[in-house]
Formats: sequence, structure tokens, C-alpha cells
Amino acid sequence: METTVINPENWIDKYSDYLFNYTIVRVNDREVTNDLISETFLAALRSRKNFKGESTERTWLISILKRKIIDYYRKINSTKGQSEVKLTPRGDEEEGDWLEERVADASGSTAEDIIENRELGLAILDCLDQLNEKQAAIFKMKTIDGIDTDTICNEFNISPSNLWVIIHRARTTLAKCLEKNWF
Amino acid sequence: MKKNRLILIDCSEASRFCDKAEYREASFSERLKMRLHYLICESCKKYQTDNTRLSRLIEKAGIQTCTKDEKEGFRKKLQEESLRQFKEQQ
Repeated sequence: METTVINPENWIDKYSDYLFNYTIVRVNDREVTNDLISETFLAALRSRKNFKGESTERTWLISILKRKIIDYYRKINSTKGQSEVKLTPRGDEEEGDWLEERVADASGSTAEDIIENRELGLAILDCLDQLNEKQAAIFKMKTIDGIDTDTICNEFNISPSNLWVIIHRARTTLAKCLEKNWF
Repeated sequence: MKKNRLILIDCSEASRFCDKAEYREASFSERLKMRLHYLICESCKKYQTDNTRLSRLIEKAGIQTCTKDEKEGFRKKLQEESLRQFKEQQ
């Protein structure tokens, strides 16, 4: 069986956005999110000998992040003195469910919408893994951050026609990848 | 034939204009040529439908990205930690 090798050098560019979207919907605070992600990367670095390569690097990082998020909730519950909020983690799968119950309700959309959109966001980021890092970065800048063509071309030193080729490849890859579950 | 070239475009051009249109960057003449092409090309028409659907999905997902500074912050902390570990091993 092929095992995955870990490579901390690439973690930030490869996984930051995924971990960020995973966390922000659960803690609703940008600063806390960034702290949790930093802690996750550090914990992963310290315990990288425990990574057996049986799951992907990202799955492994998410499992560490999940624990960090739970710790964070424990901490805010205890500082609030709300000790009646009892936490009974029962293993990885169910911890996720418990967290989902805690997400604040946004006006105008139902809980189902929120959960579906969150999953959709992670699915899109997941599909972007099929592109190389530069292509994914360019696509995200253009499509998600809405940065204009000239700025991106200057930053990556490419021509506008190069940019549109990359965008086209990204969009067809994404459409194909999302087709089964989301189209 | 040269005259036609001004109005009739091939599929690769049509899909490029279609992509640009998704970002509101297609010019009037590009949009016009694209629409004319769709009249004679089913597969490009389908590409446009899928492409628009993809834009809507991406918008709905509300993905956020980390800023450059945030990423640099992660990188710095990670580097400090690897340095610390390295020193410990010495």
C-alpha cells in the first residue's frame, strides 16, 4: 500500500484555506480561527511521527483541528461558568455532530442551507486540489477574492491569455469534479 | 472567408469568451460572437449552462480565503517551531 509522506513545507499554501473554512463556520471569529489553525500546524509538526500515512495529510490535519476546536469550546464554556454544559465526546465521528449543533443561526437561511453551503465550500476547495498550486491560487484570487485580471497577471508574471487558459482549465476541472454530487 | 472570421468563431474562442463573461469581462462584440456561436453549437451552449451553474455554486458556497499576512503568520510560527525542534535534537 502506498503511504502518504508528510511535508510541512507545503502545509500552509496547500491547506490553510481549507482549514480556515472548516473552522470559521464553527467558531465564527476570524482571530480565533487563525489561532486554532496555527495551533493545529504546530501540533501536527510536533506529532508528525504519529502520522502513519494511512489517511491523507489533510484528513490528519483536520482530525487535529477538530480536537483544537473542541478544546476551545471547553475553554469558553468553563470561563463563562456554564459548567452545566456537559461535553461528552464519543469518538471522532460524533464530535463533529456535536459541533454542528452549536453554529449560530444566520438570518434568512435555514440550518440545512448553512450546512449544505459549508459542505459545498469544502467540496469546492477539495476539488481544487486536482489543480497544481499555482493554478489553484490563480483561480481562487480571480473567482473568490475577485481580484482583477491585470493585478493577477502582474503578480504571477503571466499574460491575460495565459490567465484565461488557467481559469478555463480550473472551471472545467471543478465542474467535472462537482458534477456527481452538486450539479 | 476572411469576412466570416469576424463573426464566426471556433469552440475554443467561444469557451474563452464564455469564461470571461462569467467574470463580466467579455466585451459587447465578444458576447455577440459567443451568442451567434451558440446558435450553431450545442456543446458550447451546454458549456455555458454548466459554467453559469458553477458560478452560482461558488457564490453560494461563500468560501473565504486566508489573507497573505495570515498565511505568513502561520509560516513564521511553523518555522520557529521547526527551528526549536532542530535545536532540541542537537
